[in-house]
Amino acid sequence: MKQLQRKLLRDLLHLKGQMLAVAAVVACGISVFVSMSSVKYSLEASRERYYSRYRFADVFLQVKSAPEFYRETVSRIHGVASVTTRITTDVTLDVPGLDEPATGRLVSIPEYRGAPVLNDLFLKKGRYIEPGKPEEVIASKPFLEANNLVPGDHISAVINGHKKELLIVGMGLSPEYIYEVQPGAFFPDKRRFGVFWMSRKALESALDMTGGFNDLSLTLAYGASEKDVIMQLDNLFRRYGSLGAYGRSEQLSDRFIVDEIKQVGIQITFLPLVFLAVAVFLLNIVLRRIVATQRDQIAVLKAMGYSNEDVGLHYLGYAMIPTAVGAIVGTALGAWLGRGLMNIYADFYNFAELVYYFRIEDVALSVILSFIAALFGALGAVRSAVMLPPAEAMRPDSPVIYKPGLFDREPLRHIMPVPVRIIVRNLERHQWKSALSVLMISLAVAILIAGRYTYDAVDRMVQVEFSRKHREDVTVIFNDPMPPSIAYNFASMDGVLEREFYREEPVRMSFLHRSRRQSIKGLESAVGLQRLVDKSNRQVNLPQNGILLTTTLADILGVRPGDRLQIDFLQGKQLHRELLVGGTIDEILGLSAYMNIAELNRLAGDGGALNAAYLRIDRLKGAQLNTTFKKMPGVAGIMMLKALKESFDELIARSMTTSTIILTTFACVLAFAVVYNGARISLSERARELSSLRVLGMTKGEISFILLGEQALLTLAAIPVGFLIGIALSALLARALSSELYRLPFVFSAYNFLFAFIVIVIVSFVSALAVKKRLTSLDLVEVLKTRE
Amino acid sequence: MAMQADRSGIGESQAVLRISDLSKSYIMGEVQVDALKQVSLDFYAGELAVLLGASGSGKSTLLNIIGGLDTPTSGKLFFHGREITAATEAELTAYRRRSIGFVFQFYNLISSLSALENVQLVTEIAENPMKADEALRLVGLGDRLNHFPAQLSGGEQQRVAIARAVAKRPELLLCDEPTGALDFQTGKLVLDVIENVNRELGTTTLVITHNASIAGMADRVVRLRSGEVSEDRRNLTRVSPSELVW
Repeated sequence: MKQLQRKLLRDLLHLKGQMLAVAAVVACGISVFVSMSSVKYSLEASRERYYSRYRFADVFLQVKSAPEFYRETVSRIHGVASVTTRITTDVTLDVPGLDEPATGRLVSIPEYRGAPVLNDLFLKKGRYIEPGKPEEVIASKPFLEANNLVPGDHISAVINGHKKELLIVGMGLSPEYIYEVQPGAFFPDKRRFGVFWMSRKALESALDMTGGFNDLSLTLAYGASEKDVIMQLDNLFRRYGSLGAYGRSEQLSDRFIVDEIKQVGIQITFLPLVFLAVAVFLLNIVLRRIVATQRDQIAVLKAMGYSNEDVGLHYLGYAMIPTAVGAIVGTALGAWLGRGLMNIYADFYNFAELVYYFRIEDVALSVILSFIAALFGALGAVRSAVMLPPAEAMRPDSPVIYKPGLFDREPLRHIMPVPVRIIVRNLERHQWKSALSVLMISLAVAILIAGRYTYDAVDRMVQVEFSRKHREDVTVIFNDPMPPSIAYNFASMDGVLEREFYREEPVRMSFLHRSRRQSIKGLESAVGLQRLVDKSNRQVNLPQNGILLTTTLADILGVRPGDRLQIDFLQGKQLHRELLVGGTIDEILGLSAYMNIAELNRLAGDGGALNAAYLRIDRLKGAQLNTTFKKMPGVAGIMMLKALKESFDELIARSMTTSTIILTTFACVLAFAVVYNGARISLSERARELSSLRVLGMTKGEISFILLGEQALLTLAAIPVGFLIGIALSALLARALSSELYRLPFVFSAYNFLFAFIVIVIVSFVSALAVKKRLTSLDLVEVLKTRE
Repeated sequence: MAMQADRSGIGESQAVLRISDLSKSYIMGEVQVDALKQVSLDFYAGELAVLLGASGSGKSTLLNIIGGLDTPTSGKLFFHGREITAATEAELTAYRRRSIGFVFQFYNLISSLSALENVQLVTEIAENPMKADEALRLVGLGDRLNHFPAQLSGGEQQRVAIARAVAKRPELLLCDEPTGALDFQTGKLVLDVIENVNRELGTTTLVITHNASIAGMADRVVRLRSGEVSEDRRNLTRVSPSELVW
């Protein structure tokens, strides 16, 4: 059937504009699916590989200090496969080239690299530390790269009150810090936080912990119960200041990656679905039109003896070929996009090896799905081609039965000029098609809205987290709880304008059968340097009585204001208390519990303690203060709000800009495809009518108005609908993307809507121009001569 | 090669096509049209018959039913004794593929295919076809093989349509107003080709037209009026199309 195939190809070539539009929509859908699926798989596989190759632990525990022989005890717990003990501490760093102090996490490693350890180091550059050289460290890759440091460079740290010069001998990575953030922060600040691996012996002596450890991690034997092991660990280490053991699900780095993978999974489902839906619609209308214009050709094929299957397959080809083109382009584009996205992920996540797996299964699945969609879209038209009795096909389509519509009633009828009446009547008579066109264009609008929604949400997040909630310039986190008298040290510090302290007390909260490790933040005030602001940007006060929980935490515990929580303090006197839930606050980041510091001190039963200071400083004295901070003993970390915001902006800008560009481009393709095809089909259906109007004396402008006015009306109707769908889609996204780590606030800027409006108007205008060229070059005589 | 027509031998015993009590009514918009009312006719091998009738007389409907493109509301149609009206969809397709050649008023060429390719569209699926270029040469278009329909005159397009219809060596050639869209001279040229095919290949040929002058070239003239046969006569003074005048 070579000639039939030839006809197919030539017809497709003739309709190339419309077919390319269909192919482009399919390509968008496939590329999103293929890229996201491969990214998801690559992240999962890289994580798995990294974890198993470098023996990432299953359970983690931090204590104040415990004797080393407990390692043996732990290894005998039923279900424990292997145990590693370490010494870790957070210190202040003086980084060459960095004005502000940075924070370093020191993690001990064996002096001799022999027996396999858990959370093993991947040495990317340089060498391992040499025994007997306590100054040697291996530093984490993101920190070194962000600070332009290389093995051989020096860095100084304040360890246990003493300033020490450290020599960087290697660049490393560990499965424990795939997402490398400072404790207490949510976003990486590569310049100001780094992990450093140094000799156990050196750390033991620097911290006076010879024969002890403060960090333990273990792997579980196959089939062992994580819960049981954690329970036994907690019993064992309570008296050593344990904050409670936890599994991978509470390990911050893993938590972020798992969330990320989940989010990618959500995007795999919703975006390609939208594109496939539009492809189905487009194929449906385009094919219906092809079959309608080729009625006589269908008849003649059947008259020649071509069977219904031949004819059906032939017309199916009109759907399958553009779909195939879309699939090929989409796969290539998806592979490319996936690689690009992986590069962005490499910015956030530090894998020893972030391997990009491009899987044929994903391609196959997406191609199968799009062909099913194409089949679905084509089915109606192909069926009508097959069913068309050849004799009837010889006759022109019987005229559409027109009846007076809503707008034909008096007085509307006389108010509308004839061209407007033609537009309205046509829309009215093809209600379903018009409604579907509106829906499809509105999907493009919705994608634009949802795409920019994340911008708005992050904007709000920045606003709340970096300016509304925090008015301090510097947060100084102490290594150990300090007595309240520490406040005087800061009072005398030159350049500190305001200061505020808080206590952060680790507890186990329980309600009925639910329980969770959580710290309570004791605040001096909720209206001082730190404020409590919810995700709707509303300020919330501390309750008169009891504790304020973030909504997500309250949900996890299953409590409501008025309930009474059981509290077990994990440090100090380890008292058990009952506490009223005084209220909830819907915060953007993390899980928190707040209460008045005096009340917290009273409950803890000690004389009070402080864990950190918020400081507002005199900018002019910033440099001088930085020097002071860099030397300050007993400090685990220093966070600069401005620096944190800058690094956040930089990090987010790249990933968000990329995804917004992709989504905007795809939405434009979608809008163009729908509007252009709509207008082209309208033109084909009504060429005779419009030519007749021209012959009757209407100008080119007037007939353009009739045809394009209809498309304009559809587009205008689609914009508000698209806004609504976009808002709904964003709500779904916000819900789906929310986790314990963060909740996206539900906000939309006027700019978002304006942007979507302008993009859709421009795209519609361009597609109208493309059709107008054809419209004005209609050959009046030819059009009237040919049989419809 | 199909059998050479033996005109003296035309008779009852060689009826290729037998039509009995055929009726057809259909709905067009909101109107019911009785296109055929109990038509009975026989056609014989090698015969060139002209079906005359005004627009709406039912002649196209009859032709469509004979060609297996349409089904009657009642009545029967036999082709070589096999009942076509009882055939399944697949049998009808096979019938059209093997036995019928169609020529339409508006040529109905596939505009995206060249003259040669339009003919090949048929030769590809036929059992014992002529070569496509041979069929085009038969209608005098040996030098226009690679022209597209838009590059051909109306007469040429119709001749391509005839070549396409006869290339499969059909037993029955059905021509629906083959000159309807053509001027006098071109129309005669096309009729000449049809007569030529009928004579050379012995194909039983039915030409329907509203133009009574064309009846002059036929062996037999059947006149339809309002869906009924109003006249069925043998033309004893058959003339060549070139001698026709209208």
